[in-house]
Amino acid sequence: MEQQEPPPTSRRDEPRVSAPPRATEGTALYVHLPFCAAKCHYCDFFSVPDEGQDIDGMIAAILREAEVRAPARPRTLFLGGGTPSLLSAGQLTTLLDGLQEITGWRGSAAEVSAECNPESLDLDKARCLLDLGVPRISIGFQSLDDETLKLFGRVHTATESFRAYESARTAGIEHVNVDLIYAIPGQTADEWSADLGRVLDLRPDHLSAYNLTFEEDTRFKRWLDRGRLEAAEEEVELEMFHATRELASSSGLVAYEISNHARPNEQCSHNLNYWRNGEYVGIGPGAVSKVEHTRSGNPRSISPYLRRIQGHGHATEWSETPGEVARVAECWWLGLRLQGGVDPAEVARTAGASDAAIEVSVTLATRLVGDGLLERSEARYTLSEQGLPLADAVAREFLQRLPQGVD
Amino acid sequence: MDPKYIRNFSIIAHIDHGKSTLADRILEITGTVQKREMKAQLLDDMELERERGITIKARAVTAVHEMNGQKYVFNLIDTPGHVDFNYEVEKSMQACEGAILLVDASQGVEAQTVANAYLAIEADLEILTVLNKVDLGHARPDEIAEEVENSLAIEATDACRISAKTGVGVDAVLDRIVDSFPAPQGDPSAPLRALIFDAVYDEFRGVIVYLRIVDGTLKKRDRVLMKGTDKKFEAVDIGIFNPKMESRGSLSVGEVGYFVSNIKALGDVRIGDTLTLDKTPDVDMLPGYREPRHMVYADFYPTNPKDYETMREALDTLSLSDSSFSYEAVTSEALGFGYRCGFLGLLHMEIIQQRLEREHDLDMIQTAPSVTYKVQLKDGTEEIIHSPGALPNPDRFDEVLEPIVRVSMIVPAEFIGVTMTISNDHRGIFVRQEHLSPTRVQLVYDVPLAEIMYDFYDKLKSATRGFGTLNYDLKGYEPADLVKLSILVNGDEVDALCAIVHKSFADPRGRAILKKLRKEIPRHMFEVRLQAAIGSRIIARESIAALRKDVTAKCYGGDISRKRKLLEKQKAGKRRMRQVGSVDIPQKAFLSVLGSE
Ligand SMILES: Nc1nc2c(ncn2[C@@H]2O[C@H](COP(=O)(O)OP(=O)(O)OP(=O)(O)O)[C@@H](O)[C@H]2O)c(=O)[nH]1
Ligand code: SF4
Ligand SMILES: [Mg+2]
Repeated sequence: MEQQEPPPTSRRDEPRVSAPPRATEGTALYVHLPFCAAKCHYCDFFSVPDEGQDIDGMIAAILREAEVRAPARPRTLFLGGGTPSLLSAGQLTTLLDGLQEITGWRGSAAEVSAECNPESLDLDKARCLLDLGVPRISIGFQSLDDETLKLFGRVHTATESFRAYESARTAGIEHVNVDLIYAIPGQTADEWSADLGRVLDLRPDHLSAYNLTFEEDTRFKRWLDRGRLEAAEEEVELEMFHATRELASSSGLVAYEISNHARPNEQCSHNLNYWRNGEYVGIGPGAVSKVEHTRSGNPRSISPYLRRIQGHGHATEWSETPGEVARVAECWWLGLRLQGGVDPAEVARTAGASDAAIEVSVTLATRLVGDGLLERSEARYTLSEQGLPLADAVAREFLQRLPQGVD
Repeated sequence: MDPKYIRNFSIIAHIDHGKSTLADRILEITGTVQKREMKAQLLDDMELERERGITIKARAVTAVHEMNGQKYVFNLIDTPGHVDFNYEVEKSMQACEGAILLVDASQGVEAQTVANAYLAIEADLEILTVLNKVDLGHARPDEIAEEVENSLAIEATDACRISAKTGVGVDAVLDRIVDSFPAPQGDPSAPLRALIFDAVYDEFRGVIVYLRIVDGTLKKRDRVLMKGTDKKFEAVDIGIFNPKMESRGSLSVGEVGYFVSNIKALGDVRIGDTLTLDKTPDVDMLPGYREPRHMVYADFYPTNPKDYETMREALDTLSLSDSSFSYEAVTSEALGFGYRCGFLGLLHMEIIQQRLEREHDLDMIQTAPSVTYKVQLKDGTEEIIHSPGALPNPDRFDEVLEPIVRVSMIVPAEFIGVTMTISNDHRGIFVRQEHLSPTRVQLVYDVPLAEIMYDFYDKLKSATRGFGTLNYDLKGYEPADLVKLSILVNGDEVDALCAIVHKSFADPRGRAILKKLRKEIPRHMFEVRLQAAIGSRIIARESIAALRKDVTAKCYGGDISRKRKLLEKQKAGKRRMRQVGSVDIPQKAFLSVLGSE
């Protein structure tokens, strides 16, 4: 993935951007652990293979950054990456206890999650996570077909995925999410439904099912461009999209977001906050924060991150503050991804927007209701059955048709 | 300078036969330009000329050649070869006594070779035939010399044979210029008469007027009068092109040079006008020029309606440096406010459009080019229209007249059959056929100009594997059975997409246009219905299926800024698109009416 903002990093790695204002108590906290056993071919998260990397040094830097920037008493804590489960028990302890000292999360966070991959999640690791105060984990199954897992560049088999799930449950982890990818080149809708069925039989609490996307600067994108891979047909993707929602719902998992399904009360609060365009603080390389109306990010690279932390305690490399109308457009775009949709009054509060700005967005929404893409009930607007698989096209309507401005 | 020692000439040829390259060699051999300053096609100094490798604007330059111990001053004009710029060639010739007719010895006589040679004959110029590119392995100078003699009745057996690229034979051409071209005639003691044969706009100096002194002398600081426009100026600076402007105290009979006087706009100078001294206003006018003729019209609309004013300024500025296009305000129901512009031809149109976009950073929509129609209204009056949308309802007019051009095509003999078929398919009427040589034939047809603008040239090119060339000249207007083909998008007629077509072609053209529109218009969140209609009769239909899936699977906190930019960037990809109703129509769609593929 490309650098989000191109402020040329100065030779001496002087941060050109000062640290964003410290977030208020209770703000959501995200910690990015950038190491994986191997780099998956479709992945555009910031992550690097762990071989030869100084994980302890990274943990120390993250804790240093936390001292400077982490909010006190975060409402949610999310360990993402990368692969947090790759950390040893000792490293996890250092990290989580260290964060406890700085933020007191154990007494404040109503939800604490960690992303795990099958190759590094065994019974001991699961117990360790639970003991350290992580009762919610996400396991990257991605596919149940070993050939596909190889094509993906993943280092585990489907059998290992099931075993990891088993370990988590045995350890007593109560909230488990499974990550899956569909619309894989060559996959049929029936194959997908069958695989999904097997996962749903595990009775996970949460399911993230992603339509495969070919992100810039990934191997998959290059293979697609060179014709080595072929993207699925629109019709097939659509069929899988609908099948996913139906199968999940008949298993009691409701699609509360485009790609996310959960049992009642099992939605991921940390992620819901993103889709509501709320504030959050991200620490670690490549992590992004949103404090007040300003979004800012750390370098997506290990050494510049470490050097900046050593020098300044924070590593902020870029920041941007979208203008009022752009903030409103963002709220619609993100909020419409949710089952509950958007209430213009909430947008006004979140975006700190004037009546005039809200009004133009409501005019546009009303037109989209007329076009059959949105539905309105009382104050809330949601994507219609037809609009749901067109969420990006609808988002473009908001992001492009409302006059823009990023300061 | 004694006029005896002056030679004024243009270099004329078909496109790409090497005019500008020959000019390079002449400048180099005469020492006008130092070798280290030399670059290929030196006189093609406009950005677009260099980019496309063609000459667009005629350029005058002075060089000194020494022969038998005597210095001769050459004023040479490098002319463009493309058919759109015939007017430039015509202008240049009036300032000359001679013309070098350059013929590519591997390609032979082509359409603009003939057309330009006839212009030279009409202008009463002495013609010196020069066969170029003899360095090429497949050059056939003997055969080509014969072709020139057969097609143009010009003596060519002892034509110079040169390579403008390597310089071989160019020395001899210089001597031949001295021997063959007459020295300028003119009375040095008569009152000043100078022909204004061109003008260009310079940001710093204002208009630079190109002059050829016919009688008398022009001195720096003289008070002068342009007879046609009756405007008076002071000769602030005069001089010659060397090839850069070089000041002189005076210019006398036969000399070619420039005149500068803080003239603000090209519009203040009329090409072909006669310049004299303020104190001798009664001299006779020199024969002038015809006005440039606009063969095609197209409308330009800013993509963002807010840019309407900016567009006007851009057109004003552009017209300072190119007086051969016209523009006037126009409104379209679909596209709002814009400008209707007239051009010398399709290449000229493309160039103006590119200059507007590049030099003025304008993002705009251009409609398909249209020829000019004359509509005989029922009330006995005539209406001239430049766009299909302007055609009145059928019950308001008796007939429509369209421009007919005389097309002269030169093709290898084996392609006579296909060329005739293409001409017939485009409503051409056979005029005559002539063999230039056993292998090459000239075919002359009268063809509606609209057909030429549609796809005639592309068809000719591909049918003759690139060997066929064509030249055309306006012949007149003739009535034809023409109808307006309307295009409806989701039920609404879009005026900017209409076409005027011959009744017998209406159905296939309607279908062809819709097929193209279907490819060009992106999918929307709803079905887009396209219809072609004549009056109320629908002759073709197409539809663009609604987009059904467009959603990124993941979107988390770390992605939001980047994804927002991506979604906004997809808007940048929407440059040159206009929303008509709720349908986004890209620029290319507006040109769908052009050509069949
Ligand atoms: N081999 C060879 N190539 C030549 C010769 N003279 C010109 N060329 C090439 O022919 C091409 C066209 O040359 P130009 O001098 O630009 O032709 P032109 O007649 O000025 O073209 P327009 O101004 O566009 O009508 C260029 O690629 C030249 O390098 C020659 O004597 N021999
Ligand atoms: S494990 Fe996850 S973060 Fe790591 S490379 Fe694979 S997809 Fe990316
Ligand atoms: Mg040239």
